Amino acid sequence: MPQARKVALVSGGSRGLGAELVSGFLDRHYRVATLSRTKTTFITNMLRARKDRHFHWGAVDGRDHEALRGFVKEVGERLGRIDVLVNNAGIAMEGILSTMRTRDIVEAVEVNLTAALVLAQACSRFMLRQGSGCIVNISSVHAIRGHAGVAVYSATKAALDGLTRSLARELGSRQIRVNSVAPGYFDSDMVSDMAEEQKQRIARRTPLGRLARIDEVANAVHFLASEQASFITGQTLVVDGGITC
Amino acid sequence: MLTAPTLAQIESIVHDRIRAVLAERIGEIPRLSGAEKLSVTLGLSSLDLAFLVAELEAELGVDPFAKLVSITSVRSVEDLVRAYQQAFFPELQRGGEDDAMAAAVNRAQTRRARRKRR
Repeated sequence: MPQARKVALVSGGSRGLGAELVSGFLDRHYRVATLSRTKTTFITNMLRARKDRHFHWGAVDGRDHEALRGFVKEVGERLGRIDVLVNNAGIAMEGILSTMRTRDIVEAVEVNLTAALVLAQACSRFMLRQGSGCIVNISSVHAIRGHAGVAVYSATKAALDGLTRSLARELGSRQIRVNSVAPGYFDSDMVSDMAEEQKQRIARRTPLGRLARIDEVANAVHFLASEQASFITGQTLVVDGGITC
Repeated sequence: MLTAPTLAQIESIVHDRIRAVLAERIGEIPRLSGAEKLSVTLGLSSLDLAFLVAELEAELGVDPFAKLVSITSVRSVEDLVRAYQQAFFPELQRGGEDDAMAAAVNRAQTRRARRKRR
């Protein structure tokens, strides 16, 4: 009897790295569920192309904890299990902390951190019952090195790395692995507003001399989610072309 | 579960789930009175308790620890049973709070008496 397809849940899978991960998991024969606030062209196309039960999308605002829990429950019931959670959804929050609006700080913490905690909590219940699972948190090089103007973003990403280490210890005995991927700058919506000169400066500072391609970041996530990483837990895999070394 | 279970059914389901976990951990299925301490008497870890909560949520469709009850207040088998009973029968909650309050007052009085003795 063929083994049932594994199920991956990717938060923020409507664009950028999230969309790349959704496609990658489908290519690897996973059934994939993703949530995002809005239905992008990518989601519309995926729903049209994957009319079968291998792709599921939900319109969920990351700040709505009940909706997040409800989505996980719906995925678990509909697809039968949850093998992989990728906490990818996040918002960039730039600005000097002392002049930042409190509501923007709260929003960044809600979307980048609290939503990840709620999703990890809800998915880990399925994983505990299954006796296996894998969680990958998308962190950032900003969690490792300080940079002016991204204090709030850095704080949320460093918190995700703390979550990774502690949750790995909590869940390890049940064969649930928890890791982080910390990307450097890569071609995505988050750097699309960046001036060309700034991108070139980052490339010059990077030992590999360029920004990452989005698939190079996604590949690190797929590796950690795979059996090839079966003895790796509680770690942060930095994918930055060497900029933090 | 489509219809709300009775108090006795909830107790039976919770006991069954605990016994299933114990059977897997230690290979024996003890009879439960309800008074057993989950950690001290039965040797269940906090992760075992998390597993139990996940199992019970799947079976009963409720999670009393999401909002209603703090998991740290659950020490015995009957505490766990009561948490699920309260989730289905909120009218039981008042008494539970009174019990918890009475227990907290009792503990505070004991601490005060100990300090006086020193």
